[in-house]
Amino acid sequence: MLEFENVTVSLAGVRVLRNVSFKIDASETVALIGANGAGKTTALRTIMGFTDVSGEIRFGEMALTAVAPAKRPRLGIGYAPEDRRLFSAFTVEDNILMPGQVAKLTPGELRRRLDLIYEILPELRELAARPAGSVSGGQGKMVALGRALMIGRKLIMLDEPFQGLAPALARRYAEALRRLRDTDSEVTLIITESNPGLLKNFADRALVIDRGEVRAGSLNAEEAA
Amino acid sequence: MNLQLIALAVFDGVAYAALVFMVAVGLTLIFGVLRILNVAHGSFYAIGAYVVASVGGAIFAAGWSPWLAFPLMLIAAAVVGIVLGGLIERLLLRRIYDKEEALQILVTFAVFMILEDVQRLVWGVQPYFEATALQSLGNIQVFGVYYTVYQLILLPLVALAVLAGLRLFLRHTLSGRLILAVTEDREAATAIGIDTDKIYLMTFMLGAALAAFGGALASATTSVLPGIGADMIVLSFAVAATAGLGQIEGAALAALLIGLGRSFAVYLMPELEVLIPYLIMLLVLLWRPEGLFGVTQTRKI
Repeated sequence: MLEFENVTVSLAGVRVLRNVSFKIDASETVALIGANGAGKTTALRTIMGFTDVSGEIRFGEMALTAVAPAKRPRLGIGYAPEDRRLFSAFTVEDNILMPGQVAKLTPGELRRRLDLIYEILPELRELAARPAGSVSGGQGKMVALGRALMIGRKLIMLDEPFQGLAPALARRYAEALRRLRDTDSEVTLIITESNPGLLKNFADRALVIDRGEVRAGSLNAEEAA
Repeated sequence: MNLQLIALAVFDGVAYAALVFMVAVGLTLIFGVLRILNVAHGSFYAIGAYVVASVGGAIFAAGWSPWLAFPLMLIAAAVVGIVLGGLIERLLLRRIYDKEEALQILVTFAVFMILEDVQRLVWGVQPYFEATALQSLGNIQVFGVYYTVYQLILLPLVALAVLAGLRLFLRHTLSGRLILAVTEDREAATAIGIDTDKIYLMTFMLGAALAAFGGALASATTSVLPGIGADMIVLSFAVAATAGLGQIEGAALAALLIGLGRSFAVYLMPELEVLIPYLIMLLVLLWRPEGLFGVTQTRKI
C-alpha cells in the first residue's frame, strides 16, 4: 500500500535518502530502524510531503508525490512527529480533534473517533481539558499519537515514539499501541526507532536505514548491530 | 496644563490611538502568521481613505443619506482587503515566503512605492476632505471640552470591537483556530491537513482590510492626501514593535501609549510631537528588545 521507488531526497544540499526503494503492505507493522541522523525522520517527512523529492512514491493506487502536502492527511495518513509539535494555544482534546475538524468530519464521526482514541489512550481523557503546552514531554507523545489516530485510518507513522519516555510511560505507550492493533487490524503502522529491541514483540518486520539507503533488517538488537 | 487641556490631550490621544491600532493590528497579524513585515500595509490604509473620501463625496453630493458613510467604510475596507490584498498575496508574496527577510522587505517596499504612484494616478495630488460621517454624529461636551462624538466615542468603540472580534474569531471559530495553528507551527499544521496557502491568503486579506478600515475611518477626520500611507506605516510599525510583533492585545495598549504620548507632546512640547512615538519605541525596545508583550522564541529548525 506504500511503495518507494528510486526515491532520492536532499536536505540543504546533502543527499539524505539515496535511491531508496521499498514496499510496505496494508495492515503491516514495520519498524524503521536506524541510528540518529540516518534519515528516518526524513523518510517520514517525505511521505508527508515536506521534502523535495525525486523518484516515485505510491500510496495505494495513487502517486503520492502529485498530492499536495495538506491533502495527504485526508488520504488517511496520521503522523506523530518525534518532537510532538502540539499546538500549545489549544487544549489536549482540541489538538486531537483538529485534524478531524480540518477534514470536515461530521460531529457524530468526530465524537466516535474521539471515543475510540480515548479507549486506546485512556490517560488522554484525564488530560483532555489541559492546555497542550502544559503537558509533560511523555504525555505530549501520547497526545501526538491521539492526534495521528484521528485522521490516520490507513497509515499511522510514529517518529521515535519511545525516545525520552520514562520506563513506566514507555510501557503504557506500548500497551496503547497493542490496543490500537487489537481495535484496528487493517491500519498500517510505521514506527521509527534507533533501538530495534524495543519493537521486537510488536513489529512484523524491520527496515534498516543506513547512510541514506534502506534494506531489510532484523528486529533482533544484536543482529542489527 | 489645566484640566481642559489634559482632557483635550487625552481625547486626541485616544481617538488617534484607535486609528493607529486598526492599522497596527493588521500589520502584526500578518507578521505573526506570514512572518513578513509588510511595508505596503500603509498603502491599504491610504487607499481605504481615498476610496471612502472620493466615493462618499460623490454620493453625498448626489443627495444620498449621510448615514451611508458608515456602510461605505465597511464595504471599502472589505473590497480593498479582498481584491488588492488578495492580488498582492497570490501574485507576489507567495513567491517570496522562503526568501531572506531583506528581500521580503524590499519587495513589499516596492509594492508600497508602486501603490503610492497608483494613488497619484487615480486620485491626483489634491487633498480630499469628506467629513460627512464626522458631522452626522455631532458633538459632545465632556469636562468642559467640546469634542466630536465620532472621535471620542465611535472610534474607540470600533477599535475595541475590532479587538474583541479578533480575539473571538481567532479563539472560537475554526478558521481562526487554524490561523493560530499555522502561526505556531506551519509544518505541523500542514501535517494535520491545514491548507496553509489558504490561511496565508485569508490572513493577508484580513490584515489588509483592517488597515483599509482604519483609513476609511480616518478619512472623516483628516484630509486625504499623498503621503498619509507612509506616515501611517512608520507609526503602526512603531506600535507593533513596541508591543512585540504578533501581539494583538499588546498592539492596543501600545497604540494607546503612543497615541497619548504624541497628543500630550502636542500640548506640552510641540517640537517633539513627531519624535515622541519613536522615543517611546526606543525606550521600550532598549528595556525589552522583544517588545512589551513579546516572547523570545526559539525557532525550530
